[in-house]
This record gives sequence, structure tokens and C-alpha cells, in this order.
Amino acid sequence: MPEVLVVDDSKVMRDMVVACLRPYPDSHFTQASSGLEAIEQLSLKPYDLLVLDLNMPDIGGIEVVEFVRGQDHLRNLPIIIVTTRGDEASRERALQAGANRFMTKPFTPDSIQGAARALLEKSPAEASRG
Amino acid sequence: MSGSGEFAEFLPAYLAEADELLASAQKDLLAVEEAVRKGQAQPRAVRELFRALHTLKGLSAMVDVEPVVSLSHWMEASLRLADQAGGRLPESSVEPLVEGLRAIELRVRQLGAGKAASPAPANLLERLEALGPQVRDAAPRRARAVKLDAEAAFASRLAPSEREQLEGGLAGGQRALRLDFVPSAERAAKGLNINTVRERVAKLADIVKVLPLSGAAAGGASLAFALLIITRAEDAALLDAVGGPPAVVRSLEAPAPEEGPSSDAAPDAGGLPGGAILEEELDEPEVRRGGGLLRVEVSRLDEAMEWLAALVVNRSRLTRAVAALTQAGAPTRELNAILQENGRQLRDLRSAILRLRMVRVGDVLERLPLLVRGLRRATGKAVRLELDVGDAELDKAVADRLLPALVHLVRNAVDHALESPEERQAAGKPPEGLVRLTCHTRASAQLELTLRDDGRGVDANTVAKAANAPVPDSADALLDLLCRPGLSTRQEVTRTSGRGMGMDIVRRIVVEQLGGELRMDTRKGVGTTFTVFVPLTVTLMDAIVFECAGRRYAVAVGTVEELIDVVGVVRPAGADGVGLVERRGAAVPLVSLARLLDASVDPGAVGQGAKALIVRQRGEPVAFAVDRLVGQQEIVLRPLEDPLVRVPGVAGATDLGDGQPTLVLDLGALGAARAGRRKRAPRSGEWVT
Repeated sequence: MPEVLVVDDSKVMRDMVVACLRPYPDSHFTQASSGLEAIEQLSLKPYDLLVLDLNMPDIGGIEVVEFVRGQDHLRNLPIIIVTTRGDEASRERALQAGANRFMTKPFTPDSIQGAARALLEKSPAEASRG
Repeated sequence: MSGSGEFAEFLPAYLAEADELLASAQKDLLAVEEAVRKGQAQPRAVRELFRALHTLKGLSAMVDVEPVVSLSHWMEASLRLADQAGGRLPESSVEPLVEGLRAIELRVRQLGAGKAASPAPANLLERLEALGPQVRDAAPRRARAVKLDAEAAFASRLAPSEREQLEGGLAGGQRALRLDFVPSAERAAKGLNINTVRERVAKLADIVKVLPLSGAAAGGASLAFALLIITRAEDAALLDAVGGPPAVVRSLEAPAPEEGPSSDAAPDAGGLPGGAILEEELDEPEVRRGGGLLRVEVSRLDEAMEWLAALVVNRSRLTRAVAALTQAGAPTRELNAILQENGRQLRDLRSAILRLRMVRVGDVLERLPLLVRGLRRATGKAVRLELDVGDAELDKAVADRLLPALVHLVRNAVDHALESPEERQAAGKPPEGLVRLTCHTRASAQLELTLRDDGRGVDANTVAKAANAPVPDSADALLDLLCRPGLSTRQEVTRTSGRGMGMDIVRRIVVEQLGGELRMDTRKGVGTTFTVFVPLTVTLMDAIVFECAGRRYAVAVGTVEELIDVVGVVRPAGADGVGLVERRGAAVPLVSLARLLDASVDPGAVGQGAKALIVRQRGEPVAFAVDRLVGQQEIVLRPLEDPLVRVPGVAGATDLGDGQPTLVLDLGALGAARAGRRKRAPRSGEWVT
């Protein structure tokens, strides 16, 4: 049962991401409204997938990715970054920081579902959970 | 063009959020406009305006509202540059931004009215697009007299506008501070998480940036958040907002170069890796040196204890290996001597670490005066709190558990025991009530705390009536009644007798959790005295609790290799109480624990040993037959201090909550007693008073 953490300061955006990924079998979603809350959540419980907005108050998606990749237990956590037109430069930085995939708004439910499936089904964390 | 496509169902939610974003954007733009007119930077407003537009752009793209996407895109682009320029915008940029925002608002309204959003005006888009170069050419930042001390640790993580905001705050006479919040599951359960902390701090300060920290930078915690703020608030209020310790407040202002002792110590040349050293020091906020004292996070001590525990486990493996060598006839005399020395050193190290965990009782009780002040205000009673706790010290683990019990007792004393000033005067007492807390360390490694009030005393009749029980004939019996769970819920008791609120909790903490003692002495009209005895230190362990021959025992989880059902008995127990049981195809010695603990126990009470605990002894498994498994729980282990009752095979005693002392067994050592080389263990309870 994949645990997915959806992080965006926009509630509508989080709801949209959840709606897109909901059809994935048995998935369970937690929402966080900021990068800080996401980091706090990740320290409290294990997740199988992180869907992360790039631009948020206090710390943005890149900083979250950098922090996450610096944590031993989160090194292999699959991360999908959600970006917007105009974020091209940041996209490169996020990739270097260790994000796995990008979705650029507007994206379709199929495209983000495909990205999630590809990451979840090869993730060692998911495999060990059975 | 209208909101459509895959996410059309989200249109109402989109409109609601767009309204909110526009409202905050308008507020920020007004702040920017005012700052621009004064020739000032407004980094916070610029940044938030940028974010609002960026979010709006992304959302609008999702619901396919292209005109809003284009408008917000060009506004956002110039604001991104302004953010990078420290939050400065040229005056000429304000008008197009205001128009842009208005144009977006108009289109959101159109969508809300069920119409299509009209296309973005081309000339407005062009003007917005042209803002970028203007912003880039805006006046460069002027140098400030104040400097930030955050360079080494945070320079790379602060945007120019964030630096500008911090420095601007300093220049404006505010303080630029770093405030750390350490999150945890417990804190989250109490509603203290980074979001709520952020809200609380935002009431006291401007939050410029929040950085997540881990490892050394987090001061031993697995995660900490450093809030970089500018504020005029007091440290105490800020610390309170982040939930208190282990939080710290540190200034981000760099000391003037000619001041401060650090200037001659700081190696600015000479090939020393000065930057790296500085960074390390900055990253260690929780250890503050001063007056020969070192502040250390408890988690670091716990970590040291964990390493020590690992060392102890390893030592027992070594001991077994050496014992095996000895048995095989190898010359191990010197090895054994080293092993013994090693054991002594481990014990010394353990007590040294335990000593580090001791805190001053006076520090633990620091918050009581504040509590009483609040109670004074809430109850309208005149009350004085006297603390006389000297230099007594207590294990942090005990202190943390004990404090809530003491808070309960003090609260009860003020709330209920003390009379109103008028009542007191009528009774010939001074109008101001007195609550006095004293403590001293007893020789038996116990701390004795006494809380005395000069209130009305506990009325045995009222308590008996409320508890629906006969009138108690002694102070102990009265305390038992007061500590009955549920008594506290009876309103008339708390109002008339003044006692009983949460006393069951107090007793549970003192007696059951800490293995201490609670006594009460009360005299009508004169006052009540509670005396609490608690051990100075406790050892916590996870234990398996089981029953054997009608008694309960506990054993450390870590020492038990396996729990089995006793089914395949190969050979029943003989006269020595040792049989054989089959375990995965191999015969394992099966020891009757009941026999071992007390050979003289009534044979009728000895169970058949339905379950067995497998423990390794000299590397070989031994099964100890027990009657019934009760469960697994965390216990407070009380070592048996008296050398006369120190028995091989008994690690100590604990209270499982039933008020009866329960032996905590060390089955490995108990196995040695089996061979008859040691004296038998005494009957449980025999020497536990």
C-alpha cells in the first residue's frame, strides 16, 4: 500500500494531484501545505512517494529535495517535482539535487499516474513492504 | 476561453483559491508601492507577491485559463528578478503590476459568472514583459552598516532578498535571530508542528526564512527547523512559541570586528581552515559554553547510553567466548583478568553517563512559581509559594515524569486546599496562604519531596461520602480513598473537600511509574502535607512479563531469544527440575523456573510450564518453563541496592501497576544457579519491603 506525500501550498493543486493518483491501487495520501511540513512528515513516518511543488513559502521544492537526499533513510525516496512554465532553470537544479521526475503544469492525470507507477514499481522501499 | 479539460470539476475550488491569492497579492502590492515611493526595499512583500502569482499561474494552467496564465507569467518573471535584487522595484514598475493584477481579477470574475475569460490585452502583456529589464537595472543595494553573522552557515541558503530583509531589520533597530524548533511525534500529537509553530512565531516576528537542519547542525536531534526572524519580541516569548527546550535563540548579528573576544581567537590567516571551523561552531548551537557549564541535549546522552548498551552486549558475547575457551582448556587467566577490568570500566563509564543525566531539582521546579502566579490570578486567593530545594539533583528521566505529579499537587493545594482570604481571617489565619515545597536527598538513593499547605485540611467524612465508602480511620486509608480513580470526577468533592483531583494520577506516577512512595498527613483546619519519595535514578527497559507458580515476573526482552510452547517434552523434569524439550529438532534443557526460584514452594502451586523462554547461557540455549505469558511492557527497573539481598539471577524489582513488587529476573545468571554453585534465590517478596 503505497504511502504518498503530496506537497503544495495550494490546496486545489494538492487535491488535483490526489485526484490524479487516486486510481493507483491501494494508495494512501497525506497532504502537506509547505516544504517544512513535508520534511516534518517525512521524519515522522515512512513514505513511498513524494510529489513536490517547486515554489513554496520558506523553502522551495529544491531545498526539500536537497534535504531529503541528505538523509540516509530518504536517499531512495522517489520524488516527482511539479513545476510551472518559467521554472526551467530550477528544474535543472532540482534534477541535480536528486529529483526523479518532472511534471509541468498543466499535466494530465495519465501522465502523472504513469510517472508515479514507474517510480513506485521499481522502488526498493515498495518492494520490501510487499 | 473557459475553465475546462481534465480538471473542470475543480473550477469552483480554483475560483475560491484564486480569490484568496488575489486578495493577498493586492495587499502585498500596496506594501510594495508604498516602499517604492519611499525608495525602500520591501523584500517580504515582493517575495509573497511573486509566490501568489506563481501559484495562480500554475493553477490557472491546470484548469486551462490561458489569459491568467500569460498575465501572471510576466508579472511573476519581473518579481522573480526583483526578489533576486533584494526586494527592490523601480517606480515605473508599479503601475503595470497594478493593472496586471486588475486584469487577472477581471478574468477570475468572468469565470465565476460562468463566462469565458477574455483574452489578455496584448499591450498590457508587452508592458509587463518589458518590466524585467527595468527591474534588473534598478538601483543596486546600498551597503549596510550592520552585517549578518549567518554567512558561514547559511549564506548559500539565503536569497538576496532574504539577506536584505534580515539586514534591513537590524538596521531598523530590530533583532535578527535564529530560533530553532525541534519537531517530534509527541509534539505533533500535542498540536505543535512546524505549521503551528510558524503561525505562533509569525505573531511575534517577521519570519524571513526557515531552514531544515539535520545531523550535527540539528544539535543531535534527527531534525530541527531554524527559523530566521526579525523581531522586537523577548526571548522568553519566542522560546515559548516554539514549545520551549531544546529550542535556543541566537543572534544573527555579527559583532563589530574590534569587539568581542572572538576577534583575536579567529584565525583569519595562517593557512588554517578558518571557514570550516567557524562553520562547525555555528552548527553547534545547543552546546553553549560558559561558567564551566556545558549544556547538552538529553538525546545526546541517550545516544551515549545506547552505545554503552551495545558495548555491554558485546562484552557478554566476549565473556561467553572466553568461558568457552576456558572450558576447552585454553590458558585464559590473563584474558579473564582483562575481562574483569573491562567490566569495572564499563560500570564506571555507565555511572559517569548516568551522573551526566542528573539535573538540579531547583531547575526542574522553575515553572512552579509561574504556575502559582497564574493560579493566584485565576482563583483570587492570596498565596505564597516557598521553594527550599537546595542543591538536590535528580535523573532527568525521573524529573520529567515527576514534574506533572508535582504540578498536580501544587494546583490542588492552591485550587482546593487553601481557603479564601476572608475564610482564613475568620479562622484566625493570615490571609495569605502558604505552599511550601522542600526536598532533600536521602542516603538510600532516594529524593524526599515534601509539599505542605496551611489550608483547611482534608475532611475524611466528605471524602468517604463522595467515595461511597466507610470513613477511613487512618491517613493512609484516607489517601487510598483520595487516589481512587474516578473520585476526581465528582464535582462536590473537589468543591467541598478540596481534594481528590487527579490524585490517582499523582499516585500512579510516583508509585507505579517511578517505584516511589506517596504519603499524606492532614489535620483539619491546619493543613495537609504530601511526602513523595522517588528514586534518584531509574532504568527503563522493555520486559516480558509472565506468571510462574502463581507469581508474576519480568525479564528483559533483549535477553530472551525465543518464546516457545512446551509441547515436545523429550524427557520430563527429574529430581533436579531439569528435563529436555524439543526445539526445532534439537533437544534443549528445560528448567522448571518454579523449582529454581523456590524449591520449597507448595508443589500444588507449581504449574506444568505451558510456555518456555529460551535464553542463551554460555552460548547454549536453555528453556525456562513458565506458566503463562502476560505481555510485554516498558518497566522501570529498580536495582536492589542492599548487598544483602543481591542475588544472582535477579536484576531488580519493578511495579507493574498492581502495587505488588515484581522481580525482574536475569535468566542467564539464574541458569548458573541451576548448577548448584550459587545459593538459591530467595522467595520473591521476601526482601522487598
